[in-house]
Amino acid sequence: MQFSYEVRDTYAEVKGVGRLNMVAAPKLREVVAEVVAGGSSRVVVNLAETDFMDSSGLGALIGCLKAARQAGGDLRISGVQPQVKMVLELTNMDRVLTAYSSAEEAFGND
Amino acid sequence: MVSTVSPRHAVVVEDDADIRGLLVLILEQLDFVVTEAPDGLSGVEAVRNTNAELVTLDINLPDIDGMEVCRRMREFSDAYIMMLTARADEIDRLNGLDTGADDYINKPFSPKELQARIRALFRRARTPAAPAEDTRQTDELARAAVVQKSLLPQETVRLNDYDVAGAFRPSRSVGGDFYDWYQTSDGMHLTFADAMGKGMGAALIAATVRAVMRSVADTPAIADAFESASATLTADLDQSGSFVTMFHGRLDSASGKLSYIDAGHGLGLHVPVEGAARRLVSAGPPVGIMDGQQWPAAELQLEPGDSLVIVSDGVLDAHDSLEEFVRNVEKAARSGGTSDDVCAALLELAPADTAEDDVTAVVVHRRREIGRLESNDGGVAQTIRY
Repeated sequence: MQFSYEVRDTYAEVKGVGRLNMVAAPKLREVVAEVVAGGSSRVVVNLAETDFMDSSGLGALIGCLKAARQAGGDLRISGVQPQVKMVLELTNMDRVLTAYSSAEEAFGND
Repeated sequence: MVSTVSPRHAVVVEDDADIRGLLVLILEQLDFVVTEAPDGLSGVEAVRNTNAELVTLDINLPDIDGMEVCRRMREFSDAYIMMLTARADEIDRLNGLDTGADDYINKPFSPKELQARIRALFRRARTPAAPAEDTRQTDELARAAVVQKSLLPQETVRLNDYDVAGAFRPSRSVGGDFYDWYQTSDGMHLTFADAMGKGMGAALIAATVRAVMRSVADTPAIADAFESASATLTADLDQSGSFVTMFHGRLDSASGKLSYIDAGHGLGLHVPVEGAARRLVSAGPPVGIMDGQQWPAAELQLEPGDSLVIVSDGVLDAHDSLEEFVRNVEKAARSGGTSDDVCAALLELAPADTAEDDVTAVVVHRRREIGRLESNDGGVAQTIRY
């Protein structure tokens, strides 16, 4: 899985392409840690091109959410695809990880 | 090489010639070479001479008591010993004693059930809880696999009118799946959990979850028990940056009432004897995400012929949609046979060559009511019950 990130005015966008599984999970943690350490604690993970996520991937997202909140910010997700949505709903995590339709919208109102 | 498979030996220790003959037939159908012993002392000798892997042992024997026979066999043999008793109420007492037996079955027994039990015994590895003998030759993953396997329940749940089974296939990387169950005075408790992560870390978290869940077994209300357990676990899980999805249920066997809590698992299904299967929706997030979380308990009525099926996300990951997943799980649950057979069919839904994760399944099936023949002496006329 490939990750890239871009720091914008009010948030940083992290984008992942491929399958967010146990191989990709540590990479996501690293990328988000780097972004947060760089001073952007408001993070959007853009999942528009992430077509699969397992429990390790979900664990990484939660770890990243905790890291962002500890730094005084937040982590939100956007562009959630059907399989990822299903995992979030099954685990009841859709109430904790708020999904937005686009990265721009995620921090649009605050 | 003459033969690739050496024959497995079994010894039947039973004084009633009719029952002995029936047991021999049952075991021969499972390809055992069977030696018959009409009393305890000849039974011990037969095990010594044949190096048997399986023993069925009657408790009431003409010469020495079955428990003494068991003790003597254990001095030199690690054969699977299955004890037979004519009194159902004796099983509870036996379970509490360290007799050295692996399983107990009461007469009258069903040949099919006996065969299923024996197959299950032989599927389990001998002494899975023992640490690896040569740590120099085992890497951490192999040790993690041993830990994970040791978490699975060794005891069989023996409830009248229920057929309870579980199956587990670890992934090469060792995930955090496990299930646990134990009998209580009015039924059973069941825990099904998946700790996030892989390897020794996940296996140790799973071990902690199992121990903590067992520690609240005596708390009367399931919601209180779960809240107390999860508070303990959340502190541990937070440190390791992990979480656990869990299904915890308590079954009252007489009424069929199941109280349960689903914490972020969401992969339990109620498959009723009539009507469509229903997925049991999760009541809250996984354990370890947030402090102070509460999970409301729900209830499910298991009628005769109904099944409760719980699988791990390794099964879900093999499907394209939740609908397809529910359809296939329901189909497997209705495929007939014992709960062991259904578990095998559920594992098949996630083919071993493509599954990245552990695959686990548990089935609690309430049997349809059939005229059960009671007998005080376990005579052969009453032994066959399908």
